[in-house]
Amino acid sequence: MERNAQHAFDAEEVMAYLDGELEARRAAELAAHLVSCSECQEVAQGFRALSERMLSFEVEHPSAGMNEKVVTALESDKSANEAGTSRALNHRVWNWRHVFARPRNWAIACAAAAVVAILAIGIPNRRQPGSLPLNGRNFTDIVKLERQQNATSSTYKSSLSKDDNGSAEPEPAPPPADEELKPPESVGPMIVQTASLTILATNYDEASAAIEKLAAAHGGYVEKLDAKAQTGNARELTASLRIPTKQLDGFLADVRKLGHVEEETRSNEEVSDQYVDLQARLRSARATEQRLIELLGTRTGKLQDVLEAERELARVRGEIESMQGQSTLLVHRVNYATVQVDLNEEYRQVLGSGVISTGTKIRNAAVEGFRNLQDGAVGLLVFLFAVGPSLLFWLAILLIPGWFAWKRFRARARV
Amino acid sequence: MRDEGISEIRRQDMAADRKRRFFMNSDDQLILEFQRGEREAFVELFERYREPIYGFFRRRLEHPARAEELAQECFLAVLQNVQRYEPRASFRSYLYGIAIHLVAAERRKAGREVAENEKLDGRAAQGNAAENRDAGIWVRKALGHLEESEREILMLREYEQLSYGEIAAVLRMPVNTVRSRLFRARAALKNQLLPVK
Repeated sequence: MERNAQHAFDAEEVMAYLDGELEARRAAELAAHLVSCSECQEVAQGFRALSERMLSFEVEHPSAGMNEKVVTALESDKSANEAGTSRALNHRVWNWRHVFARPRNWAIACAAAAVVAILAIGIPNRRQPGSLPLNGRNFTDIVKLERQQNATSSTYKSSLSKDDNGSAEPEPAPPPADEELKPPESVGPMIVQTASLTILATNYDEASAAIEKLAAAHGGYVEKLDAKAQTGNARELTASLRIPTKQLDGFLADVRKLGHVEEETRSNEEVSDQYVDLQARLRSARATEQRLIELLGTRTGKLQDVLEAERELARVRGEIESMQGQSTLLVHRVNYATVQVDLNEEYRQVLGSGVISTGTKIRNAAVEGFRNLQDGAVGLLVFLFAVGPSLLFWLAILLIPGWFAWKRFRARARV
Repeated sequence: MRDEGISEIRRQDMAADRKRRFFMNSDDQLILEFQRGEREAFVELFERYREPIYGFFRRRLEHPARAEELAQECFLAVLQNVQRYEPRASFRSYLYGIAIHLVAAERRKAGREVAENEKLDGRAAQGNAAENRDAGIWVRKALGHLEESEREILMLREYEQLSYGEIAAVLRMPVNTVRSRLFRARAALKNQLLPVK
């Protein structure tokens, strides 16, 4: 019995229903269906008859002796328990396989191992201020190092002070005025703004020339410019500009006047968290640098420790410089919005035969045909030289005996 | 003799007392109580499953004595491993899972693949005349013609009365597979045992 449009239940479902394994809603539907469907009733009756028939496979009852062994084992386990040396308990204690067969125990073991590893590595590597024992043996060398350090430190301090005024510039673009690079005085939201416009220029030549002038007029600059003028296609220009955030609206209003705006998008990205985090890490690195400098200034300790402190100091200074650069870049991105302008010329199809003449095309085709012939011949020769020897070898092995066999056959046939 | 009578009365009293205490407890509750140290809970479980487990082995093995031994081993396995027991599936699934393993080990020990039809036919041939006239012989023969996993599923359903989920847990296969194989087994058996109308 199959399920079809007229019959909503198949025999397997009837079986599951009789076994009490059908989902409740479906079982209720089938129960209602069974009242009126003779076909399903017959199927159900068949299953019931089969079950009854199977019950005829009877077995005898177990003997009373079956209890003895189990009861004996239970009693011995009870006695062992009372004596405090339960077999089940011992079994559990010594059965490590059971312990590690459970995934949960593995997870706990791995977590404990990770905690121990973190503590083992983390605690000894913590450095306290002044913990480096610097008992110098060669005082002259230490003095030299100290002098070098002081010179480096003073140079670095002066460079740091310059960086604080914002004269260092990691970007390749032309540097704007110094005051533009000052971070905001209050830690309000720092927003990086971007905008893009796609414009169909009314007058392409005038519009493309105007873009740079507009950028300069609003205190910005062109970061990248890309112009295309392919034959048979409209001209297009893509410019990436950096405009001071305060001038952005005015700049965009002026750019819109260059033609018909086909597409415009603007987006803002808040980077306050990044900036605050960067500043915090900078302060921490500077404090570490200061401590290292003080430590080296105490002039006590082994030479090896001094060198190690020196290396650490160089590393920290490298980190400070890197973070300084990131901070400057972030501030610049906030102060200068990025604007992408795609300027397209309205395309007018040119009536004409094109740049290449007909005679030139025919000549080019002939040259190409000759080259194809040449390549084909060379290819065939290469193939023959590559495959030929082995082909001849196998032909010789197969054909020569075959030829002699053919000759003998012909001779016999004549006889 | 007087002592034996007193022991018997005490046994009956204890059995009655156990029945009163545990008759509402499910199998899963009983095994957990036994795990906590309540010995009478195990005795109750043993009483409940003594005959079904013996019947399980008796229908699959040739010799009644060996079936009794394996039934005892099954309960001993529960007793000895009670501290390792975890209620992931029903106790019935756990118990019959042990039984299935014991049967498989017994068959491997016998040194040949399961040929239940041979064993079942052998039992029929070795049985006495009265047993041979038993209507169950046809059922045994028909079961012997089934494919092994279908036969096992059908027997667990019809004789051990396990649910589809319990069978799936015991035999470690999906429930849908249990259902479809059970249907095929019943259809095949019906063709052999029931007259066609």
